[in-house]
Amino acid sequence: MKNNDEEVEVNSRVYELGYLLIPTIGEENVPVVYGNLKELITSLGGEIISDEMPKMIFLAYQMLKVTQNVRNRFDTAYFGWVKFEMGSDKILELKKKVDLDPNFIRFLILKTVKENTIAAKRFIHKDFKRKTSTKKDGENEEVVSINKEEIDKEIEAMVAA
Amino acid sequence: MKQDYFSANNIKHIDYKDIEILRKFLNLNGKIMNHKRTGVTAKNQRALSNAIKNARFLGLLPFVAK
Repeated sequence: MKNNDEEVEVNSRVYELGYLLIPTIGEENVPVVYGNLKELITSLGGEIISDEMPKMIFLAYQMLKVTQNVRNRFDTAYFGWVKFEMGSDKILELKKKVDLDPNFIRFLILKTVKENTIAAKRFIHKDFKRKTSTKKDGENEEVVSINKEEIDKEIEAMVAA
Repeated sequence: MKQDYFSANNIKHIDYKDIEILRKFLNLNGKIMNHKRTGVTAKNQRALSNAIKNARFLGLLPFVAK
């Protein structure tokens, strides 16, 4: 049993932290909060793999957060994410620290892989390809019609001969 | 969608941030579509539903759309 515990502690895994920041902090303070989060991760022995700056988004539904016995409702938020490698023993510490931060509405820690998992950009290309293929089909039809005319002419020439 | 969308497009990891892809598997009310309708393999359907649920938690997708 002891050996197993030690192995669990030694494991370093790739995690992703997705988070929503409150919109009231303002555009100019977003990089500050973002920098602080990165510092917090590196101070806990984490190695940042990739990340994205928090961007203002419209939330799909209204969120509630109670801070100092006051209910705050949010319709917009700054959404950002960080992918990092960290020891599995430190992740709980990170969770506790982010929990106490008043700038976060919500956050989500997930186990993930090092590679880029976002595939949306690839699809736009595929859609374009599909569109071009449909156009090609149209062109083929035109070509066929031209061929028919040519064939008609040839037949007429044959009949005349 | 008769074929598995994810293996056809070579997607190995279904990301909760890919909202455009995830939206294809929601009906008008924002419910997750049946695997019979999506044609996604059982393994990918499980990953897909987890990704949608994570996206819902972070307000990227709705729980209920009117």
